[in-house]
Amino acid sequence: MDTVTRRKFLKLTSGAVAVGAAAPLLSIDQIAEAAINRPLPANTPILVVITLYGGNDGLNTVIPFTDPIYFSSRPDISYKPEAVLPISAELALNPAMKGLKALWDQKKVAIIRGVGYPDSDHSHFSSMAKWQTASPAKHISTGWLGRWVDTQSDDPMLAISLGSVLPPMLAGAKRSGSALPLGGLVIPKGDLATQCAKLSRPVAKDSKLMAAAATSMRNLFNLSTTVQPVLKSPAPVAPELPTTNGGNAGGDSNLAQQLDVVAKLIAAGSPTKVWSVSLGGFDTHANEANAQAELLGVVSDSLSRFMGQLKATTRSNDVTIMIYSEFGRRVAGNGSQGTDHGTSGPMFVIGNAVKGGFYGEQPSLKNLYKGDLAVTTDFRDVYATMIEKVLSSPVEPTLGKWAGRVSCFN
Amino acid sequence: MQRFGFGPRPGEYAQALKDGVEATRAKVLAVPTVDAGANTVVMPEITDLGKRPAANSKEIVPYAIAVRFQIQQLVMWWLDRMALSDHGLTERMTWFWHGHWATSVDKVNFALPMLNQNKTLRTYCLGNFKDMSRAMINDSALQFWLDGQDSTLTAPNENLGRELMELFVLGVDRFTEDDVKAAARALTGYQVVNYSGTLTFNPKRHDPTLITILGKTQTFTGETLSDFLVARDDNATFIAERLWYRFMSSTETMPSSFAPKSALATRDISAAVKAMASDPAIRDEKNDLVKSPVEWFIAACRALKITPSALKTPAQLINYLNQMGQVPFSPPNVGGWPAGEAWLSSATAQYRISFATWLIKQGDLSALTAIPVESRVLKSADWLGVAEWSPRTQAALRNSLADPAQFALLALCSPEFIVSA
Repeated sequence: MDTVTRRKFLKLTSGAVAVGAAAPLLSIDQIAEAAINRPLPANTPILVVITLYGGNDGLNTVIPFTDPIYFSSRPDISYKPEAVLPISAELALNPAMKGLKALWDQKKVAIIRGVGYPDSDHSHFSSMAKWQTASPAKHISTGWLGRWVDTQSDDPMLAISLGSVLPPMLAGAKRSGSALPLGGLVIPKGDLATQCAKLSRPVAKDSKLMAAAATSMRNLFNLSTTVQPVLKSPAPVAPELPTTNGGNAGGDSNLAQQLDVVAKLIAAGSPTKVWSVSLGGFDTHANEANAQAELLGVVSDSLSRFMGQLKATTRSNDVTIMIYSEFGRRVAGNGSQGTDHGTSGPMFVIGNAVKGGFYGEQPSLKNLYKGDLAVTTDFRDVYATMIEKVLSSPVEPTLGKWAGRVSCFN
Repeated sequence: MQRFGFGPRPGEYAQALKDGVEATRAKVLAVPTVDAGANTVVMPEITDLGKRPAANSKEIVPYAIAVRFQIQQLVMWWLDRMALSDHGLTERMTWFWHGHWATSVDKVNFALPMLNQNKTLRTYCLGNFKDMSRAMINDSALQFWLDGQDSTLTAPNENLGRELMELFVLGVDRFTEDDVKAAARALTGYQVVNYSGTLTFNPKRHDPTLITILGKTQTFTGETLSDFLVARDDNATFIAERLWYRFMSSTETMPSSFAPKSALATRDISAAVKAMASDPAIRDEKNDLVKSPVEWFIAACRALKITPSALKTPAQLINYLNQMGQVPFSPPNVGGWPAGEAWLSSATAQYRISFATWLIKQGDLSALTAIPVESRVLKSADWLGVAEWSPRTQAALRNSLADPAQFALLALCSPEFIVSA
């Protein structure tokens, strides 16, 4: 694999994902009416999940900049102590993450250290599938947020992923989230639209797959009639950023575009409680320093832009952002200015409701576990916290009897 | 017809209904010595372009253009064969094996080694899996794709060894990590020149020592490793599982009675396909399949009498296929393309509508308009090889009788056409 992107991953893993029966039929008119008449109630918490595809190098993201082993084990690709952005006596952020550092200083960023799962898998596809299904031990076909969607009342706008293919994370057993490609949806108009809508009706004899084919057409109509006008409206203004797109605003990257759309739709009151966006390219086997810094810069700039945009809305206190990648990388560099697939890595949880600070133990560089960083926090602790604290739902239908939590909310 | 080919041309489905199940099955399975339809497709000139010129030289631009052009020609050549073949089974099986030994031109970079691999897959697509596996070990595109050329006695690379066991021959969980490391040693010594598609074996780079794989200790070469793995019972099970996944159902589990499994005792692929065509599972209504984007596109071409390479323009065609998520010779990764639900997102529905609109404008609707208006709604199912339209689709089609283009668009985007029963 040269570059691991979300698209490539999805093309493989989503093959194994089956989504269940079709949702009951809503007419276009009903949906359009609903979007106007039932915007997301004020103060409803919203979760935005950012997936970093390819395995982000955690040690060059949250850098143990005073640990001599960090420097000795990766001489080619370690950052000089004077270049990094210190956030504690031992840890610093990557120099490209100035925006995130500012949010950290405002106590809006929780960094959960050493996150992973037992018996780490070094394959991108297996590991990402484990994270997205939240089932590391056994392969299952539903995603953790898809199972949450299953517990909610039926609404195609409840959970939306930006991009054309639905990530397994949002596939449930009965229902699933919807996919929204960037640039919005172009759909037929006039009589063709009426006839296409007919094709989307469920019929009694439908097999599972035929029902899903009909549903996909119906969701297209539902999404496009409600979402399209919103996408054409101007983005909310980000007061803290220069209005003439400054270099640090990063408005031209794909992640920034995705988050722009999310910000607009949140501002418009879309009845959506879960958003999924992503950035690929973190598989830095070679020439890591520049490539990763560029990507982390995109993440950091997009986040500050997004948080700035939310500030202009009434919902800035409602949004929580969660960032993860399928694994961290090896402690030692690999001889081609890169790193190979590793195990645990840091997760970020960001928002006004978040209690900023460190959570979980920093994995030791000295005492490795089977040659890799130890896992000190199970990712399901973080998921359970998101379900309970952000989505205000019981954990059990999604994660079973999972006891661990992270105390990162006020 | 949908499963063992790429869908009927106008008239073929009605003829099959008239001929009956037995005669049609025999016809679908008997590979003719000459396929006149496929033979009308002219082989493009795909040549050795030589070593890549230096980055800033004046030769680099025409060179890069030639590389891209050859790849486009290669894609068009295969799509044309699929659309124009008189007998779909060979192309369909070649397509199946392309997804199995999934190799991407995105890394291989050149059309020539990809064409060579396609010829190999076509040669063995209904032959013996043992011969196919050996031939693939000696395939330069596969070796390059999985870093075989970097795998040496002193630094074996695990990529090919792992995928050979996991994705090509045995299946996941039928070997250990130690077996992967050992297989990597057995596979050392191959060297590839990717622009010319040449593969050589360099004994100096090969590990000649005793190697233990799956409990057996001996010296191995790539070929003897292939034979050894193919001889294991797990190989027959695995190939049967893959046939089930692509031809029967990507959602239901393969029953242990699935006939191809025992038919594969001698690793005879043709026997397995014949057994599959007579297996009771094929008549079970819960076993249905979503047409992948290429399968959907080719089925549409056959109904609309379209030659893919004649579409204006080929680049736009590739763009549509790419939006839908499937371009031949560019699988997303070594696992091949997904199946089923993955092709049914609301975004795919959108792209399918615009793709179909574009195709219908350039297609021939005479087979549809030749059906008398009074019976067109019901009879159009035969035109596309659909058993019968659901009431919802009938309603939509009935309202579009005055507009054949819209009628065709709705039919091509209907759940009954997208999903092959």
